[in-house]
Amino acid sequence: MRDDSGKWDRLPAVDAVIDAPGVVIRRVALVRQVLISGPDVLTQIDGPVVEWPGVVEAESYALSLRRDRVLWVNGPEMAEGWDAARNWAVSDVSDGYEVVEIAGAGALALLCRGAEVSLDQPSRSVARLLFGFGAFLYRAGNVQTYRAHVGRAQAGAFWTALEVHLRVSGDV
Amino acid sequence: MSAHRVAGRGRIDADAPLNFSFDGRAFQGRRGDTIASALLANGVRVMGRSFKYHRPRGPWGAWVDDPNAIMNVALNGVELPNCPATTTYLEEGMAARSVNAFPSARFDLKGGLDLFHRWLGAGFYYKTFMWPDWHLFEPMIRRMAGLGAVSDAVLEGYVADQLHDRCEVLVVGGGAAGLVAARSAAEAGQDVCLVEDHAECGGGVWQRAEIEGTAPADWVAAQVAAIVAAGGRVLTRATAFGVFDHRMVGIVENRAFGQAPRLRRMRAGRIVLASGALDRPVTFANNDRPGVMSVDGAGEMLARYGVLVGRRIAVVANNSAARAVLPALVQAGAEVVEVDPAAGPIRVLGAKRIRGLDQGGRRVEADTVLASGGLTPLVHLWRHAGGKLDWCDARQAFIPGRAPEGMVAVGAAAGAFDLESALEEARGVARGGAVEASVSHYHLTPLWPAPGAKGRQWIDFQHDVTLKDVELAARENYVSVEHLKRYTTLGMASDQGKTANMAGLAAMAAIQGRPIPEVGTTTFRPPFVPIPIETYHGAHRGQLWHPLKRLALEEAHRAAGAALGEYGGWLRPGWYGQGDVAQIIAEEVRMARGTAGIFDASPLGKIEVMGPDAEAFVDFVYYNTIRTLKPGHIRYGFLLSEGGAVMDDGVIARVDQDRFVISCSSSHVDGVRTHLEAWRQDGNDPDRIFIHDTTQHWATVTMTGPKAREIVGALGLEVDLSAEAFPHMRLREVVWQGGPLRIARVSFTGDVSFELSIRASRAEELWQALIAAGAPLGAGPLGLEALSIMRAEKGYLIIGKDTDGETMPHDLGFGIPRQKKTVAFIGDRSLHNAKANSTARKQLVGLRVAEGAVMLPTGAHVVEAGTQRSLGYVTSSYDSPTLDRPIALALIEDGVAQMGREVTIWHLGETRRATICGPCAFDPEGERLHA
Amino acid sequence: MQIFPCPFCGPRDEREFHFAGELGKTRPDTRDGVSDADWARYLHEQRNEKGHVREVWMHMPCSELFVLERDSVSMAVIGSSPLRGAAE
Repeated sequence: MRDDSGKWDRLPAVDAVIDAPGVVIRRVALVRQVLISGPDVLTQIDGPVVEWPGVVEAESYALSLRRDRVLWVNGPEMAEGWDAARNWAVSDVSDGYEVVEIAGAGALALLCRGAEVSLDQPSRSVARLLFGFGAFLYRAGNVQTYRAHVGRAQAGAFWTALEVHLRVSGDV
Repeated sequence: MSAHRVAGRGRIDADAPLNFSFDGRAFQGRRGDTIASALLANGVRVMGRSFKYHRPRGPWGAWVDDPNAIMNVALNGVELPNCPATTTYLEEGMAARSVNAFPSARFDLKGGLDLFHRWLGAGFYYKTFMWPDWHLFEPMIRRMAGLGAVSDAVLEGYVADQLHDRCEVLVVGGGAAGLVAARSAAEAGQDVCLVEDHAECGGGVWQRAEIEGTAPADWVAAQVAAIVAAGGRVLTRATAFGVFDHRMVGIVENRAFGQAPRLRRMRAGRIVLASGALDRPVTFANNDRPGVMSVDGAGEMLARYGVLVGRRIAVVANNSAARAVLPALVQAGAEVVEVDPAAGPIRVLGAKRIRGLDQGGRRVEADTVLASGGLTPLVHLWRHAGGKLDWCDARQAFIPGRAPEGMVAVGAAAGAFDLESALEEARGVARGGAVEASVSHYHLTPLWPAPGAKGRQWIDFQHDVTLKDVELAARENYVSVEHLKRYTTLGMASDQGKTANMAGLAAMAAIQGRPIPEVGTTTFRPPFVPIPIETYHGAHRGQLWHPLKRLALEEAHRAAGAALGEYGGWLRPGWYGQGDVAQIIAEEVRMARGTAGIFDASPLGKIEVMGPDAEAFVDFVYYNTIRTLKPGHIRYGFLLSEGGAVMDDGVIARVDQDRFVISCSSSHVDGVRTHLEAWRQDGNDPDRIFIHDTTQHWATVTMTGPKAREIVGALGLEVDLSAEAFPHMRLREVVWQGGPLRIARVSFTGDVSFELSIRASRAEELWQALIAAGAPLGAGPLGLEALSIMRAEKGYLIIGKDTDGETMPHDLGFGIPRQKKTVAFIGDRSLHNAKANSTARKQLVGLRVAEGAVMLPTGAHVVEAGTQRSLGYVTSSYDSPTLDRPIALALIEDGVAQMGREVTIWHLGETRRATICGPCAFDPEGERLHA
Repeated sequence: MQIFPCPFCGPRDEREFHFAGELGKTRPDTRDGVSDADWARYLHEQRNEKGHVREVWMHMPCSELFVLERDSVSMAVIGSSPLRGAAE
């Protein structure tokens, strides 16, 4: 029974930006994130399916998470639950993941602090462990702009990890 | 002054003087110097005192192999202990201090300890101070021995950068072989990274007059330029300190003094080991005196730092490589006398200052003794990776044998001590060719420690282990090298026996009359060089060390004055407000029992199970029968392990025919999700069951208490909240302010409760609406501590607190599914074995103390009269504000059958009495719940 | 640090994986009178082999449960395959 309020920093503001030489980090607000699972969802989904290290250009896209699951980003509103017609399980998780964008020439070097991230190592899934947090990592818009979806409850710590590693990394 | 700087020699910048001090005396060195080379240039040789005997010591080697010159170094307010003077580059203003010496290395008050050496051999301390208790003496002994002292100052910003990297070919060592190997591979189009621990590549090349017809400086520059031009990378001041699984190579990069190093975790496709070889000491009497150095060290001092280590030098060497170094020393102005080690036992004369050496009565005048017992390839990384070693008789050394996958050794590390053939081989190997046995011109006469020799002959300089200690170990039957190492501490100092191990095992071989390869080596373990612990630590500190999960409502809680603390991996409100904490918590309980309390239950799991087989699946994973649950209904139940132990509890709601939501306990969400996923894919049809963890999408605000219905009613929801229309254990989905709101009637307090779940981004709206609606009635926020008391008043359990790893559901009063459930479920069979059927199982009960007695301590044991055997223990204990008396829950053997019995409670020597009662102390009929 | 191949995601750092058990443990049909000995064998008996092993692991980021063949002495990875039907 201890008051640790002072031990933990307040969470970073949603509009916080880290603007460092070579790297800009900011939050991205998405319209919708929906988990869809189904035996053939990767081929059934009506939109670009994003794997690693592909670059997504579209506004609405499906992140390939597993052999039978996508996270549909900015898709249409959908009825939740079991869709027997399509064999899909659907859950809205728009508030379940926060999205951080890490952009710039130094973005990849920063991400390399958090995992064995390599553009030479493709993967069918964008899900990985990054700085110790579960994350969906992919590129959006251009080859130097990375997006990471991180569980809402850990997004603050993920942000802090980026901030600290950026400060510690120095001149790489 | 014996050692001195030779004008025009070395890689130092003669025009860049650097001021520094050592043991309080001011000196000047040059940019490019190490602390050791700068001190030698100033004629200082005594740079430290030995670990145990406090013998004066000077550098033996010029780089990582030096066991002696270890210092505490301070610069700009940063003091680092145990810096090797031979590898610490000099910076302006450094203040170096010898370790294990007071007041200085030159005049050490404890130097007298050396006089008692006869009694201080291996194992002396343990044998002597065994009685009455080693721990009485240990602090004093530790103060007498040891190395540097750690500064009390906290180093702000001393945080290691850690990163992952990859390359196709990693070349370890930037000497001649490494450079040509890296160049060859890079020019063949491979992604190459070369690491070199000096500030400048070149290795032994600097000692040569020319290489491939070119001056060393031009040749080295050309190789580096070619590697970079071909797209390769060259990292200097970077040491590959270990090879880990699957060719993950740990590389520590030294940055400016006082700045934490960088850890580069390099995943290498192939590793070319070009780490070179070390000169090994010759074991003769007083071979540890300051001024006894390795031949190669003297060569390096001259070639790299322009320091000639002596004016009149006696050389004790047995090999051609050492002899090749001597002309440079002569050319620099030294007088060199070679002494044949085979001609008789050698003894060094002089103490802090060498006067010469004696061989069988013949005296050789000298101010410096250089020794070389042959070259030992640096095979540490080879062994880390699992490579084998072969004994080579011709070289009298262990050289790389069967290679680990993806690794090859070249140059001196591979035993190729002749430069020309080494270069040819390195070029070929880098392109993927096989290692061919090279023709070697290197020759030596075997020279190993001679057991029974007179005088004190050092094997391990840093840990003060002599030949006599090895002999003692052998007499006491510590003959395995691993035992020898631990008994004498040979090779266990910060240099990890780079100079000591070969001599030690050769001595043991000689004592036992066994061949050296039969004695074998000890295990090579990372790190190859001592590295700061910070290297491994990095940013995993402060709030990034086990970061807690954070609530969407955290700001609202802070604004309400919450005391936040860790509860099951989340930062949650313990209570609200400042002052007497126990009073505040009690007030919160009274408020919630009297009117209503509002608490944040967001971390409760919301794991959705969907699909045509969802019903059968949840029925299988739950102890309780779930298939009979109707849509819109909720049931309480347990998840068991296959061993039958209760893993988690919580409620499960059926949203519709093919969709369930499992509300597991807050700290078990990740574990339950993994558990469900594993069973889904193993033994079930994963195409007919899908599991979505939506926990963090939702925030849950719970309204509990007699006024809960009235307050929730104020939200104006389109739902009949009456007990008849919306009874306990029902779920409703409604729309509130344009968004979905899930309402569950479940209770963790025993009072009417409504769990309202809303998407996390809208949690604050809901929270404020409920606070506003509750305030006029006297309701307010309720912290986890108050909640914890309220659930204990009702006898509601917390898994892991009121249960342990053996608790089964029937120990908690939930025995029906065990008897009645007909379909298979996880853990079912374990509920019917002899242990599960035993009558001596620990069961959850309540404990009541006598009128006026204080509450029982949590963790106190219930003991059997007479034997004092533990029959169980108190799991939860509180002062109940509702009942105005202490309450407690306990797990007690056969407890349920002993209702009303008085038992003895023991805690930290104190004995109490209590009476076993039912776990529910408040409203046992449940009237409030259904009100 | 080892690299394990997830049948779906490809090679990943070992920190992303959890060991789930030795391959070949089939849950006995508990509705069909399993003896104490058989149940104990299912729960507790481990082959704990030295050398070539076949194990079940979970790749945590994608939750794939799969068979990993590796060498428990050399740490060499021999291969991996999905626990269910062949991977695409």
